[in-house]
Amino acid sequence: MIEEFRDPLENYDPKEYCDPIERTLAEESVLTIQHRPYTAISPETSVKDALRTLSALDISCLMIEEGGELVGVFSERDALLKIGTDIDSKGDNPVSDYMTANPIYVHDTSASASALCVTAVSGYRHVPVVNLDGHIQGIVSPQRVTEFLTNQLSLN
Amino acid sequence: MGLQENLNAETVRSLPLRNPVTVSLESTHNEVVEQMQSRRLGCAVVIATDGKPVGMFTESQLVRLLAENHPNFDLSVSELMESDWPTVDQDAPIVEVLKLMRKHDVRFIIVVDHEGILVGLTGQRGILEYIADHFPEQVMVQRIGGTPHLGNREGA
Repeated sequence: MIEEFRDPLENYDPKEYCDPIERTLAEESVLTIQHRPYTAISPETSVKDALRTLSALDISCLMIEEGGELVGVFSERDALLKIGTDIDSKGDNPVSDYMTANPIYVHDTSASASALCVTAVSGYRHVPVVNLDGHIQGIVSPQRVTEFLTNQLSLN
Repeated sequence: MGLQENLNAETVRSLPLRNPVTVSLESTHNEVVEQMQSRRLGCAVVIATDGKPVGMFTESQLVRLLAENHPNFDLSVSELMESDWPTVDQDAPIVEVLKLMRKHDVRFIIVVDHEGILVGLTGQRGILEYIADHFPEQVMVQRIGGTPHLGNREGA
């Protein structure tokens, strides 16, 4: 005798969220947060050129790309902690000497909460977004997170 | 209570405030950068003799200085500091911090008491830690770094 089919999900109740922003954090992808444009440079770029790029574009973080893949980031914090005022002795060296190698990143398939998690847990404020092949898709900056949160909370 | 209500009901003093680097108007950029490096903080609050903040020097300004051809780090911080940096009263609702960060496009907000005396620093990280505390189930369990979701599954 064939047993009657029972749907294993018949009693499944979709998750209920206490707050609309909680649903967005859990269910919307990180791509919901603005992640473009972004600027990527090669590891051989000189520190001086990297700093000039940051200053000219008025941005806080560059991604370091090699063969289409993310190998590091160079941010204002790297400039502060690793260059400081020693620009005369370090300015001509490659940026790869001072970048943050193997940075913490999120995948474009991850929830938007993942970008917040990186900052809250690890302290890194710039979060590269890569696809499953390791190719750069963009970067989530602190300003973009602030804009995302104020939009979600209708604080404009 | 939802996040929006909490942001309106709770005050800035319930955020994890940070103890900022403080410098005087006469401090040189060399001295300021050294202090920011040793405390690993991305900004220094410039305070007058009465304890009131009169400006801010951030790692963004350091990058702009480093990008110049012959930066002079012996100039006093008053030459390059931002003199109209946003401040928030420690008894203001937390939502004010988000609004000020968005309005002024900054990551740090100076926290003052009702007399305008510096009491601490908050900003992007403080807000994200607050949200992470609010929604630990969403924010603190995210997969970050190098463990991608499977792109192509074989079999069941």
